[in-house]
Amino acid sequence: MSFEPQFPATPPQAPGQATYQATNWAAQVLNGYKIYGSGENEVRALNGVTVGFESGRFTAIMGPSGSGKSTLMQCAAGLDKLSSGDAIIGEVNISRLNEKALTLLRRERVGFIFQQFNLLPVLNAQENILFPLTLAGRQPDQAWMDQVIDTVGLRDRLSHKPSELSGGQQQRVAVARALVERPQIIFADEPTGNLDSHSSAEILAFMRSAVTNFGQTVVMVTHDPAAAAYASRVLFLADGQIVDELMDPTRDSVLERMRTLGN
Amino acid sequence: MFRYSLKSLRANITRFVATSIAIILGIGFLASGLMLTDAVRVGLTGNVEQRYANVDLAVVMRSDSAEMGLLQGVPAEFLAKVKVVDGVDAAAGEMSAVTRVLKDDGTVANLRSMGRNWIPDDKLNPLQLVDGRAPKTDSEVALSRDAAEAADAKIGDEIDLETPIGPRQAKVVGISKFGSSDALDEGGTISFSDSAAHQILNTGTPTFEDIVIRTSEDPALVQRRVAQALPDSVSVRTRGQLVEDATESSLQLISFLRPVLQGFAYLAMFVSGFVIFNTFSVVVTQRYRELALIRAIGGSPKQVRRSLLTEGLGIGVGASAIGIVLGVVLAKGLQIILGRFDLSLPGTGVKITLGTIVLCMIVGTVVTLLSVVVPAFRAGRTKPVEAMRQSAVDNSGTSMLRAVFGGLFLGGGVALLLLNVFYKAVWFFIGPGTLLLFVGLFIGGPLLARLLGRALRLPLSAVGLTGRIAADNVVRNPKRTATTANALVIGLFLVTLVTVSGEALKTSAVDELNKLSSSDFIVVSDSAIAPALVDKIDKVEGVSQTAPVRSMPVTADTGLTTFVSGVDFDRLQQTTGIKVTKGSIDEVLSGNGVAAVDYESVGGGGTSQGVTSRLGEEMTVTGVDGQPIPLRVVALFELKLDSMFLGDVVSPETFKRIAGDKPVTQMFVRVEPGQANAVGPRLDKAIRGYTSVEIMPGNFIGEIVGKVFDFLIGAVNALLAMSVIVALVGIVNTMTLAIFERRSELGLVRALGMTRSQVATMVRLEAVLMGVMGTIIGMAAGVFLSWVLISTIDDLEIGLSFNWARVGLIFLVGLLVGVLASIIPARRATRLDMLDAIRSE
Repeated sequence: MSFEPQFPATPPQAPGQATYQATNWAAQVLNGYKIYGSGENEVRALNGVTVGFESGRFTAIMGPSGSGKSTLMQCAAGLDKLSSGDAIIGEVNISRLNEKALTLLRRERVGFIFQQFNLLPVLNAQENILFPLTLAGRQPDQAWMDQVIDTVGLRDRLSHKPSELSGGQQQRVAVARALVERPQIIFADEPTGNLDSHSSAEILAFMRSAVTNFGQTVVMVTHDPAAAAYASRVLFLADGQIVDELMDPTRDSVLERMRTLGN
Repeated sequence: MFRYSLKSLRANITRFVATSIAIILGIGFLASGLMLTDAVRVGLTGNVEQRYANVDLAVVMRSDSAEMGLLQGVPAEFLAKVKVVDGVDAAAGEMSAVTRVLKDDGTVANLRSMGRNWIPDDKLNPLQLVDGRAPKTDSEVALSRDAAEAADAKIGDEIDLETPIGPRQAKVVGISKFGSSDALDEGGTISFSDSAAHQILNTGTPTFEDIVIRTSEDPALVQRRVAQALPDSVSVRTRGQLVEDATESSLQLISFLRPVLQGFAYLAMFVSGFVIFNTFSVVVTQRYRELALIRAIGGSPKQVRRSLLTEGLGIGVGASAIGIVLGVVLAKGLQIILGRFDLSLPGTGVKITLGTIVLCMIVGTVVTLLSVVVPAFRAGRTKPVEAMRQSAVDNSGTSMLRAVFGGLFLGGGVALLLLNVFYKAVWFFIGPGTLLLFVGLFIGGPLLARLLGRALRLPLSAVGLTGRIAADNVVRNPKRTATTANALVIGLFLVTLVTVSGEALKTSAVDELNKLSSSDFIVVSDSAIAPALVDKIDKVEGVSQTAPVRSMPVTADTGLTTFVSGVDFDRLQQTTGIKVTKGSIDEVLSGNGVAAVDYESVGGGGTSQGVTSRLGEEMTVTGVDGQPIPLRVVALFELKLDSMFLGDVVSPETFKRIAGDKPVTQMFVRVEPGQANAVGPRLDKAIRGYTSVEIMPGNFIGEIVGKVFDFLIGAVNALLAMSVIVALVGIVNTMTLAIFERRSELGLVRALGMTRSQVATMVRLEAVLMGVMGTIIGMAAGVFLSWVLISTIDDLEIGLSFNWARVGLIFLVGLLVGVLASIIPARRATRLDMLDAIRSE
């Protein structure tokens, strides 16, 4: 496959130049490689990816299984380390951070929404929402918190334990948790993978409104074209590289593009 | 199914490590106890048999008369009588007393070496010469190989000795050995000539410990002839009887020690049972889907059950075998350690018998299987449909039924125990009450765990979010937490019980005994206090008065043997403060009056062991000159500790008429007021060089009893430590399994920004919390039962004197167990791969 992206999917800078801020990237991966094994067994999950996620934008990453989309997200979010290349959040090159600094950076600047195991079973909804702030020893901005809770509609569920909430409600708690700390960027890994279509639509709507109404930055990994349609930009990944990009997608345009890629 | 069991055992081997360790520890403990006691038994009988290898008969004191006095032995003149008996090929008397060799720098080479007389008959002498010759004159000695080595002495060297009669010099003329070992005595043997031995070892008393005889005729026949030639006060024993006599007392110790050690080992195994039960319960939960799959594809409940039991069997057999190996190592290590502290046990090497191996294998395997039965049955009940279910975390709570029954048993137990307290001495209820209490604790354990978890949540929340989550995690599975904590409850309950009630008993016993003590110091000797030493002690600076006592057992015309002591009663009163309760001592001071202990004054009443104690009682004894001496009890004196050493007191003059010239065997010492601490070391200095003399403080019985209590409390606690260690392994196990279950959660909190050290703190707090729960419950039960026990025997007016420092120490131990148990799980939790943990299976 030798695809040249139709639009520049990558920031124009070469790695190491000090002008990241100028283009307002919330997060970038520059010339990123993630290699497992060696020799015959070598697998390149990321094969020289360069990509940037703009601030205030809802970006979706799509691709077939094994394309490296989850790896890209994990490396960009500082959950995993690149084999080589740079991952940058805001103006911080996280490839050079040690474990502790990386943890603190995640706590302060990154929000997460996972497919499952999103909540701590021993904490109630409110405690789960405040968990990252509590870890950091920060007081929540009460007005902001009220707004977030009302947006996701959890006001009457705050004292419930996760086991007493439905799957959709649990994921709404996870969205609220990601929003409440006002992170520089939120990474969501198949956030609707375990939900029915109604709950999925709810969650995706929250995420989109967070972007449009509050200027939040969201990066979502998904294999569902309907979910990707909520984003304003879709990146297509195959064999560890960005192979295509789509702006202002619809479910149909995403499906169409995937079909093209499949060929 | 068998292959499935083996495969899953191999696949999950790490999960069973802790289980195996629990069994290995318990079995190792059991095996080492059995092996050591076996070794001691073989060692004891072996030594004795070797010693009497060529002895056919021996004349010894009758045991009842030997008990009466320390001084009496077989009179030396009996040897001549024995030698002429028909059939006696050779005979020799034996003597021994503590004798020490000094090194060139003046220090003692070995504290426990013994002096013996060299027996001229090669076959009767247990020792053999390896070099030089036998000692002939009074200033010659033969040293055993080890004694010579320890003192760095060679043949021809002049050496300094400490003996019962004080420092002596001697020339080494021979080196001896005992069969294949260096010496008959643990610290080495110093052999003297017969005449020197009488003088030095027996301080001049013409007696033997025994007379050994060799014969080529039928020993039974000669035994009868020798017995006829001698009075009834001695008895003649065959070799078989001698070996039996000599080993009996030591074997009694073994036969007591063995079940005690076994008891503690079984307790450790019982505690292991909790750990095994817990592991398999968790494993069954974790494998729920796997088991359900087996059921779905046609495995019967019986097959599922059997597969679990087979795994249990495999672990039981394997771990027991390793446990036996550990036992060998432990036993060997203990022998080496004890040897380092100069406490070597008799017998060398570890004796591994088939019985030990079989018993250990059976115990280990049966305990494992019993602990697996319940989880196996639960596994058998797995429904096939569970295979399609999602998560497999056991979060089952606590049921109402459990609360009711737990409460009933607990309440019943407490009520029965309280009955003891309020209706004194209803001992009958102690056993059932304790049993009920524990059944209640075990049934209600999960509830208790939840209550305690709630209670401890608040203080832990102060640590921060990590503390709070830890507290909540502990009560997530109260059943598992309770089983884990219960393992610790058992150990710490017993530690607390032994420490608290033992301490209370000790305090009251020592207090009572100290009320009875009177003189400041007592100088005692198991043979004699040399006259020069008596004078020396009398002149020690700070000593205000001494009362030297000579004692011996005397048989009166009434047939009763009494212990008679000759002492100046005035001096006795000045040193001990003993008061006369009835009669007058005038006639004791100047005549044939006897002063006896007044047992009635303490409510004892009447006589004890043939000791006359009624005013006016009369008896006649035979004096050394053969003349009868009439004695009459004219005074009674109060019972104190010092009185017990005296028996019937007569004046020194009367004693001389009865017993002749006897050496002083004990002295009571009174010091100037407030000088006790200063005089003690001076007295110790005065007796230096005299091996058979000891200085004891007046309250020494109290001190000894206190030490015995301390030793017992310490020893029992040391043995209980094994159970506590197994419980520690249990906490490690539970925590490790819990972390494995919750790895997704741990990944999540790491992703959300919890640092590694925060994760470690969280896990550590959880383990510590489990430890604290077990500690609190165990200690509460222990303190309660101690209170019940002590209140029940309240007639003795034992105050429940809590030693809070010790109670605090036990709590710290429990806390430490939790902290130690948390190290491995905490490390594991922080090393979890975050991504692995978040990724769904």
